[in-house]
Amino acid sequence: MNPSSSSSAALTPATLSTEERAHWQLAWVATVDHKRIGILYLLFTLFFFAVGGLEALFIRLQLAVPNNMLVSPDTFNALFTMHGTTMIFLVAMPAVFGFANYFIPLMIGARDMAFPRLNAFGVWLIPFGGALLHFSLFTGVPKVGWFGYAPLSESPYSSSLGVDYWIIALLVLGIGSVATGINLIATIFCLRAPGMTLQRLPLFVWIMLIAAFLVILALPVLNAGLVMLLMDRQLGTHFFMAGGGGSPVLWQHLFWSFGHPEVYILALPAFGIISEVIPVFSRKPIFGYEFVAVSGVAIGFLSFGVWAHHMFTIGMGRAADLFFVIASMLIAVPTGVKVFNWSTTMVRGRIRMTVPMMYAVAFLIQFTIGGLSGVTHGSAALDWQTKNSYFLVAHFHYVIVGGVLFALLAALHYWFPKISGRMLSERLGRWTFWCMTLGFNATFLIQHMLGFAGMPRRVYTYPDFENWGWMNFLSTAGACLMGVAAVLLLVNILRSLSRGMPAGPNPWRAWTLEWATPSPPPAHNFEALPPIHSRRPLWDLANPDRPDPVVGPDAISTPDRAKTSLWILIASEAAFFGALLLVFVYFNIRPQPGPSSKTSLHLVPTLIFSVCLFASSFTLWRAEVAERCGRHRGVARWLGLTVLLGAIFIVGQGFEYWGLYRSGVTVGTNVFAASFFLLTGFHGFHVTAGLIALGIVLGLGLAGDYRNRPSPLVAVGLYWHFVDIVWVFVLSIAYLLPRLP
Amino acid sequence: MTFTRFIVEGWSWSSLTLIGGMVAAAGCAVRSRLGLRPGYFAAALLLALFTLLPPFGTLAAGVLFSAHMAQHILLLVVIPALLVLSLPRDFTPRFLNSGGFRSLAWVAGVGPMWLWHTPALCEAAVRQPAVHAVQTASLMAMGLVFWWPVLAPCARNRMTPGPGIVYLFTACLACTALGIILTLTPADVCPIFSAPSSVSFWTDLRGRIGAEQDRQIGGLLMWIPMCLIYLGAILLEVFRWLRPTGVTEKPPP
Repeated sequence: MNPSSSSSAALTPATLSTEERAHWQLAWVATVDHKRIGILYLLFTLFFFAVGGLEALFIRLQLAVPNNMLVSPDTFNALFTMHGTTMIFLVAMPAVFGFANYFIPLMIGARDMAFPRLNAFGVWLIPFGGALLHFSLFTGVPKVGWFGYAPLSESPYSSSLGVDYWIIALLVLGIGSVATGINLIATIFCLRAPGMTLQRLPLFVWIMLIAAFLVILALPVLNAGLVMLLMDRQLGTHFFMAGGGGSPVLWQHLFWSFGHPEVYILALPAFGIISEVIPVFSRKPIFGYEFVAVSGVAIGFLSFGVWAHHMFTIGMGRAADLFFVIASMLIAVPTGVKVFNWSTTMVRGRIRMTVPMMYAVAFLIQFTIGGLSGVTHGSAALDWQTKNSYFLVAHFHYVIVGGVLFALLAALHYWFPKISGRMLSERLGRWTFWCMTLGFNATFLIQHMLGFAGMPRRVYTYPDFENWGWMNFLSTAGACLMGVAAVLLLVNILRSLSRGMPAGPNPWRAWTLEWATPSPPPAHNFEALPPIHSRRPLWDLANPDRPDPVVGPDAISTPDRAKTSLWILIASEAAFFGALLLVFVYFNIRPQPGPSSKTSLHLVPTLIFSVCLFASSFTLWRAEVAERCGRHRGVARWLGLTVLLGAIFIVGQGFEYWGLYRSGVTVGTNVFAASFFLLTGFHGFHVTAGLIALGIVLGLGLAGDYRNRPSPLVAVGLYWHFVDIVWVFVLSIAYLLPRLP
Repeated sequence: MTFTRFIVEGWSWSSLTLIGGMVAAAGCAVRSRLGLRPGYFAAALLLALFTLLPPFGTLAAGVLFSAHMAQHILLLVVIPALLVLSLPRDFTPRFLNSGGFRSLAWVAGVGPMWLWHTPALCEAAVRQPAVHAVQTASLMAMGLVFWWPVLAPCARNRMTPGPGIVYLFTACLACTALGIILTLTPADVCPIFSAPSSVSFWTDLRGRIGAEQDRQIGGLLMWIPMCLIYLGAILLEVFRWLRPTGVTEKPPP
């Protein structure tokens, strides 16, 4: 955390108590409070926004005039790589998580997130990941784009360690994101206040729930790809090198099957924010709550099925192109439904054009433009023409900046009074808004034209063609104006923290629960919650004579926290193993030259130690039964047996590896060996983790720790059973199927 | 190949028998006073005829892998869904409600696609009419079992939305996995479709599409349209649930 922002946060009167202010560093570093963690997320975001923004400015300055030599081609490549990576992983995602962390518990009437310490772990992985990424400054910055296409990202073409740091940073950030995703889902499912049924959730929470599911299912696929790339670079495998039997196209499939859901991991929360802001400042409930929610679900699911539209130009074949054209166009339907919902909410509303509302309206227009240019890219034939041009740069910046960033700014202006207890200056806010909006459109609207004029993206400079010079100069001027807006925003925040008007609990007269508590909220969030019978509890409170219609029954079911989170973790892990299994099938469906499953793997010993693993699921089940019956010694006995059987499996696998190594089959031998070691290695790693967890439960149980409190055996057991089920698939696919005639 | 020949070719006595059987089945269903919803039932029958009769049926039987795949999707997913939707509201057999039945139903809905595409079975189904008949019947039956917990006419027999979404989403994942394998890898699950055709009349059609592209289209059909059907059902689930019957009107001021 940068010192200026931390001290500025410390200035806010009620965020820290008087005793805490004496040691404010510790109060921030050691916090597990969801509100402070939310603020930390936002501060990191602000810091990395400055970093990524400066990188963007350098890119634009370099492109301001033709034949410019401000930065070298190499530096330019490094700049756009770091800019993209920083903005996606260190700005947009942490910002979304920051708002979600701060406001989801408040909006559902909870005391904190489901797992506060996991939450703190997630937030501190952001600076750790950021530091790892930027450590590449000392080793050679990666110059492979935020998408890291192989084989450019392979060691023969990027020999410095920069790409390795990039991979490790993304892995760290990915793990943090999955942890946060699990935490958010568990919070929303398990910690809702009485009366806050899922049908009554504020739309921001609803949509964040969908986005969190995208996080836990999409990030593992990226992690799988990153591990494979790291193995290519460090262990000599050839997953993505055509020369060694691998496939560079596979990297694109893995990357974009994460990358397209990622677009919606960012866009969906933006939709959620807009669905909160527009009704409040139109003084009307949202038009078609159900449609906003259902279209969110539709977008979430569709986003997993359309990634190949990023790959129209790699030659997947006409048939594949056609199918993905149709699927990609389909995703415009639910998005269009949402735009219709927001516009219709504003119709005949008493609109108050405050700064958050201005950002929301600008979002609506700009996101629609970005969406429409996206539909043009959905058509493969057009995509071939515009893909590598500035038209595409304009498109995704209209979505990510004009859409997501503007929504985040709307959120910042909307919720800042709640976070700090003070209002932002509306006058400065309007200046910021106009600088930002004019700057943004000047930067990127003209890039559509540049793209049509044929300017390719990712080039460090360009010849003095007709009209290219002034269009680029205009774009650079716009970027500088956005820089001014960013400075104004910072000034506004600092000014408000020192002498902003006190906000009071509900300055916007909004209707969701976060406004039912003082600003900033006390550590315990709520003194008392208002009754919740509809989707706008505070409206009902303020207008007892004409409340909103009651939605559904009041009774809520809140599942067990530990089990819920384990199920979500299992879903996430299933995505990871699903990717690894498909990779194995992809490489081995036709036998590779060199060792293969048939020639190198011995079925009988594997079957023997597999039986041990499957038996361990049975013994664990017996341990669970014994625990239910209160037989402590029975638990210890069965659990001990489980650990023993699991250990036999691991030792057996160790012998198998040793045998393979002795016969000359190592990870770099061919892609069969690489994909086999990848798959079974990660499974073995999970078995080991499960063994450690079971060992801890066993040890604590023997020490009598669970006499007076429930043991986590059932939750840990879920994980163990899952690991066993994964082995059923691994055994069938890696050992049994290749032996079929 | 002319369009007329495309339509006329391939009809045989067995097609006429099929039509006769269908008409008889429809007659029985109408006369049994089950109270079927006619729109859905008619749609299911017509679609079944379209699926099994020439020219589509002929294409699927040994000419184009993609048509074969489309036939399976129609038989396993679309027609059974329409049939379940056509059931009357008071149709509530008791044995179909347990949790165990639902996990079986999931396997029934997903398993056949994997099972019938093991090379030996796939080839047998194309070559031997008897196996093909078993395949058709099993696909439809499994499809009915799969859709029951989602589309059963009485809300009491349906799953709650949470498990319902998981049920459908995992089914979508399972067919996606097979679709991805068929599309992106050189897996040849039905070698008969790349061998020289037994029906000489159609060979030029296959030649024009190309065996590899044909296989890709088959995989893509499983990957995308089939998943879209499940997704449609998911959206139906969510929408039904967000619009509960419990929404009461505003009390008068």
